[in-house]
Amino acid sequence: MPQIQLLVVQPTPFCNIDCRYCYLADRTNKSVVAGETLHNLFTQVFASGWADQGLSVVWHAGEPLVLPIAFYRDAFAMIERLRPAGLSVKHSFQTNGTLIDDAWCAFIAEAEIAVGVSIDGPRHLHDRNRVTRSGRGTFDKTIEGIRRLRTHGVPFHVISVLTAESLAVPQEMFEFYLAEDIEHVCFNVEESEGEHRSESFARAGIENAYYDFLSEFWRLSAMHPGRIQYIREIDDAQRNVLRPRDAGFTNQLATPFAITSMDWTGNIATFSPELLGLKSERYDNFVLGNINRDRLVELAERPLLKRMQTDIDAGIALCRERCEYFSVCGGGEPVNKLFENGSFATAETTYCRITKMRATDLVLDRLENVSNLVEGGKAPPPFANPPPVM
Amino acid sequence: MSLRVKYQTILSQLAPAGAVGASLALGAAAPAVASEPPTGDQPSAVDKEKVSERLAAVRDAVTALDQTRTDAAKAEGRLAWGNWGWGGGGGWGWPNWNNWHNWRNWGNWFRNW
Repeated sequence: MPQIQLLVVQPTPFCNIDCRYCYLADRTNKSVVAGETLHNLFTQVFASGWADQGLSVVWHAGEPLVLPIAFYRDAFAMIERLRPAGLSVKHSFQTNGTLIDDAWCAFIAEAEIAVGVSIDGPRHLHDRNRVTRSGRGTFDKTIEGIRRLRTHGVPFHVISVLTAESLAVPQEMFEFYLAEDIEHVCFNVEESEGEHRSESFARAGIENAYYDFLSEFWRLSAMHPGRIQYIREIDDAQRNVLRPRDAGFTNQLATPFAITSMDWTGNIATFSPELLGLKSERYDNFVLGNINRDRLVELAERPLLKRMQTDIDAGIALCRERCEYFSVCGGGEPVNKLFENGSFATAETTYCRITKMRATDLVLDRLENVSNLVEGGKAPPPFANPPPVM
Repeated sequence: MSLRVKYQTILSQLAPAGAVGASLALGAAAPAVASEPPTGDQPSAVDKEKVSERLAAVRDAVTALDQTRTDAAKAEGRLAWGNWGWGGGGGWGWPNWNNWHNWRNWGNWFRNW
């Protein structure tokens, strides 16, 4: 039986800004998901037994905060009424931060919503790509939102999209996070998805630049313990590499319904969330069905799902056969294979070389460095007395 | 010295610092100098042995170390892993379900509430 671990709900496709690297084609559409559609979704998800180990819901794929707080109050109350006793449901927003005000902070705190804010670093880097429809930078509004969250004591993390320009300045990025007391950091790379073709991927030396960026950022973080408490790419790489032989490893992005996505019309997709809203003749635009017309549990038997799964599995088989990093990756990201290589049934991508391979190399190289330090007797084990938390 | 023994030696010295301390130690073990621009000519594990063999050896070393610590803990009547594991919750059974890149490990995130 499938297990939904993450439910991505598009409350509206609309976004109030117009980032240059955005893959969402429909972001000028101001439609809003109907209450009945949400009711159908959660009724079916809870009845399916596919979420009996708890459910994380992320409101995304458009700017969630363009809708009024009352929308979420009503939606959360309805979900709470439908929620089976004992089942945990956690809500999350991934937002551009420009609309965060005191009322949002109070609601986010009250409803215990996890918040991720997209900010690409200091103004000159952020405003290169994260712009309004008239082309103006959004840095001031975003940083105001972040500072407001901090003032209200609302925990949050940031996602920063790294480009060739930001990869060249790890220290500047690090100092920016420190200056803004940002403690939880996730890095994305500007990638090729949908209609967007990555300029960064086309640059020579981008893989080494990513390695060097992470390496220096990690070093700076170690020199300032307690300031940056979470670097997703470093933490994930360590956790993937430093695990016992029998530790389970699942590629969630290749597991049917582990991530389930619904757009504002009720269309349902799975695998990489970015697929919903993208066009494909071969895969019927990745739409398995519609929650207002179809039964969720029957979507698992759809020929389209079998077709996608067959191709994704073929790609994973190639990864398993060819890739030295398979044990810490599990076969990569279907959406990147499709948009970089033209097919799910392929293996290596620039995206995986950068984000999986180089991050893994970094952890292995650091183990090597520690070994050399100890063997050479040139330095005492640096880990015996970790520096005090600042 | 086999790869497994080599990694076991490294990890046995990292382990007492816990996950946070070990990460700091690994982070601080950078060859680069802060004032120099990144060069891309880092020593790469890829150049020496196959990455898959290294990764397998690390997992073998973690497993062996885990067993050693479990045995020691049993003898002393305490929990084995304490704050060492990167599992965010004390165990290694980490489901890799934070690998969508607009996402993060909310399970870890919520422990901060």
